[in-house]
Amino acid sequence: MSELKLENLSYFHGKGTPYEIKALDGIDLVIPRGMITGLIGHTGSGKSTLVQMFNGLLRPDEGRVLLDGVDIWEKPKTIRQVRFRVGLVMQYPEYQLFEETVAKDIAFGPRNMGLGEEEIRVRVEEAAAFAGLDRALLDKSPFDLSGGQKRRAAIAGIIAMRPEVLVLDEPAAGLDPRGRDEIFANIVRYQESTGSTVVIVSHSMEDMARYCDNLVVMNGGKVVMQGDRDYIFSRSERLSEIGLDIPQVTRLMLRLKEMGVETDGGIYTVEQAVEKMLKLYGR
Amino acid sequence: MKEPFVETRELSYRYESADAAEPRVLRDLSVTIGKGEFVAVLGHNGSGKSTFAKLLNMILTPTGGKVFVMGKDITDENMTDEEVLALRKRMGMVFQNPDNQLVATIVEDDVAFGPENLGVPSKEIRRRVDEALSELGMSDYATHEPHRLSGGQKQRVAIAGILAMLPDCIIFDESTAMLDPVGRKEVMDAVVRLNREKGITVIMITHYMEEAALADRIIVLNDGRVLLDGSPEAVFEEEALLRSCGLAVPQCTELVHRLREAGIPLDGACVFPEQCAELIMKSLNKER
Repeated sequence: MSELKLENLSYFHGKGTPYEIKALDGIDLVIPRGMITGLIGHTGSGKSTLVQMFNGLLRPDEGRVLLDGVDIWEKPKTIRQVRFRVGLVMQYPEYQLFEETVAKDIAFGPRNMGLGEEEIRVRVEEAAAFAGLDRALLDKSPFDLSGGQKRRAAIAGIIAMRPEVLVLDEPAAGLDPRGRDEIFANIVRYQESTGSTVVIVSHSMEDMARYCDNLVVMNGGKVVMQGDRDYIFSRSERLSEIGLDIPQVTRLMLRLKEMGVETDGGIYTVEQAVEKMLKLYGR
Repeated sequence: MKEPFVETRELSYRYESADAAEPRVLRDLSVTIGKGEFVAVLGHNGSGKSTFAKLLNMILTPTGGKVFVMGKDITDENMTDEEVLALRKRMGMVFQNPDNQLVATIVEDDVAFGPENLGVPSKEIRRRVDEALSELGMSDYATHEPHRLSGGQKQRVAIAGILAMLPDCIIFDESTAMLDPVGRKEVMDAVVRLNREKGITVIMITHYMEEAALADRIIVLNDGRVLLDGSPEAVFEEEALLRSCGLAVPQCTELVHRLREAGIPLDGACVFPEQCAELIMKSLNKER
């Protein structure tokens, strides 16, 4: 499946105006294929701007975006094709539902791709299933759905395009714990069964720790850390410094260390913490 | 029990469009919230939390039961508009999306909007605006444009706007849901301070267990009814029950429960990492 690569990429908000801000600053980054990558950073760190580079919603001022080695801006007229290949689920996507029925809304992307009716029907059902949306809801108006169901419908609309790279900006924001778990479980299932490349943007370090194989940390428009979970969470102090929330059990381990208990970094789930503590107790 | 601020008696609500077969959003809910209390309301999406908040603030009218605010029956049909307005002034509400509740182009104008509408004299408005902004740590931004602020700053301006109306109670309806961790902390620090220092009654609806843990009391709603009502420590002890209705407990609480199941004697409830560290240190020292 597909790999995204950013080379020395920079972007300015309000370029040429007195309010010019460098939103992205010389980013070199590889989003590995067939994995779930988590993008972390506080508000204003540039992560939402960055994801809009992935599918060509924004065009870099400097540097390149490569999809499987090809510069997506090589032929600007075909940028639409890139948007079918890299699906972006924006923050609060439920505000973008607009069709008469859920099925029509999900079908909007595939229809724009010029697919035939039968193919569209198949994709709508498949996407609804992946997003955990009950079939009975397909004929309802999207405005009659609950918040969580609307979110699923919006995600299904992107999945129906069968993107090679699926990018989700805060897919679980505003949902209760069970809703969050379900959305993430659906994303993991989509990734595993299609082998797609997935990027998730989230503030929740606990969710990131649970679901992402690879983590990218942004600060001030730059990538400041990249690596697997163990690597990233063993640098919890640095994460705190740049204003990120670290999981509660990671904070607990730091506190115990201050109190003189021998703990190692890189503990970010309850399971790991239980194991570590049992060892400390000699059991 | 403290002097009651709001009290609901067998409060029920059913959406107008819903057919008779649809269950009521709230079912015979009876709760009393004391003056100066800090109460967090938890519940999964669709449990009735937001409806509850809107009923307390008279945005919605109940389909059954009664609501008393400071001893006055706000569901009484004979209440005059003046009486309703007078009570509404006492209770402010902060919503989820900061962009939906700021109206002016300058921060201090936005904060002045409420008291202006209440007909407060302009000198007094000036005083209240300055005081409210200072209370929320936003004085330096008085002449800024709200849309250029961060999410946490916007919510603090929204809170200042309510504070300028001198309320006795503020209801927060998932007011931190759209904020990042820094913004969430800014808002929560402000909420705790308003409660502890100014004695404002706080009713906070949230999905974040750690925010709920800061409250004096947590009410858990499920299917429109009260499932649990108690201190954060007591409520989070009920891990299995919370999970069965789609909620979770803080990681540290879960850790303590797991360790206890493994036979490690840990006494006391625990919600925060600092507490948890103390608890573990105490028991480790005993073992050695």
